[in-house]
Amino acid sequence: MAQQRDVKNRIASVKNIQKITRAMEMVAAARLRRAETRIAALRPYAGAIRRMTRQAAEAAGNVPALPILNEHDNEQRVALLLVTADRGLAGAFNSQIIRAGVRTAAEYQAAGREIVYYATGRRGVSSLTFRGTEPRQGFTGFTERPAYANAREIAQALMTAYIDGQVDRVEILYNGYISPIQQEVRRETLLPLQQATILEESDEERETGGHEAGAPHALVEYEPEPEEILQRLVPDYVEISIFRALLESTASELGARMTAMRSASDNAGDIIDDLTLEMNRARQAEITQEIMEVVAGAEALS
Amino acid sequence: MARTKFPVEVLTPEGEVFNDEVEMISTRTATGSIGILANHTPLLAMLDPTELRLYRSEGEIVRLAQGEGYLQVADNHALILVEEAHAPDQIDRADLQEKLQAAQDAYANAEQGSEAQRQAARDRRRWEAFTRIAGGE
Repeated sequence: MAQQRDVKNRIASVKNIQKITRAMEMVAAARLRRAETRIAALRPYAGAIRRMTRQAAEAAGNVPALPILNEHDNEQRVALLLVTADRGLAGAFNSQIIRAGVRTAAEYQAAGREIVYYATGRRGVSSLTFRGTEPRQGFTGFTERPAYANAREIAQALMTAYIDGQVDRVEILYNGYISPIQQEVRRETLLPLQQATILEESDEERETGGHEAGAPHALVEYEPEPEEILQRLVPDYVEISIFRALLESTASELGARMTAMRSASDNAGDIIDDLTLEMNRARQAEITQEIMEVVAGAEALS
Repeated sequence: MARTKFPVEVLTPEGEVFNDEVEMISTRTATGSIGILANHTPLLAMLDPTELRLYRSEGEIVRLAQGEGYLQVADNHALILVEEAHAPDQIDRADLQEKLQAAQDAYANAEQGSEAQRQAARDRRRWEAFTRIAGGE
């Protein structure tokens, strides 16, 4: 009897866990749809910024020599921005970024460079701190729903460090979003910004197909001069790149959590099946035992 | 008297905020206040934080707190790109107060003439403008 009750309790607790993982899976799925919408919402803005930059660059004749476009002669200190989440329970989502970051750092260190970490998300900050490589700056509390202001804050910190000469190169590592079940670790260089990336036509422009300014350039009024407008437009690229990485990372996190929670629910289902079988066996054994006792008792009497 | 209307689009990185025909736009560029009516000459301007006013008609004005951005007029169509745009009644004043304080502190602590100081000055200017907008007329 005692064994049956134990198994029953275990089944009940596994069922409760399954309810929780199911709920988390559904919450992640609902939020994922919103996160996908936000990635799509950024495209027209990013495309329009590119078109304006090209228009201003054409009017100015060239892109002014801004400090963030300027390569440092000696790339001694490399900054790595690791984009992780505030929460776990999403499979390998956080650990694969940390692993990729540590591997990249090792490569640079082998080449005699110094590494400066920056991180978003509590997971990344605490993992790095635990490893004894505390990030120079951590940005937390927004990874479920990053706002543009968060990206701007991060971009400002990185550009400031670059311009003031505290770092000589900045790279970002994040989980790129491919589909709800597929994410890939991406590594991109944020600074120095390449002129080519500013002036080339991007996919999002072709997709959104916005209109180029129709008027001849000589007739366009600039307020202030195009050179001055470019001084602000160009840093916007860094902000937009970081914002896109944050949005993709959020979608990837939700996709990874959805997948992790689905397999947890499936696992719970398997365990429940096994335990139910075990319970039935125990019950059957008890019944057999009782019958044998009854038969033995009857035989003793006869 | 009703004026001629023209289409305006307001885009932020988080999506479209406004897309409709208006009679007039009033905002602030890096060189000063500006009003745009229909059939304006092609323009590319850099916008500073201020209250963006979109006049659907004389009496119906859409007001938005705009962050830094750009204004492009081409083919009688205005495109406003701003980093952020909020309805004045949706601004969280306590939060804004905190941000302004943080920007002021950052400015005071930054090294004279450094990039960090320039960034802090930019933040401070934005939050000051938003505070004025949230503070009512």
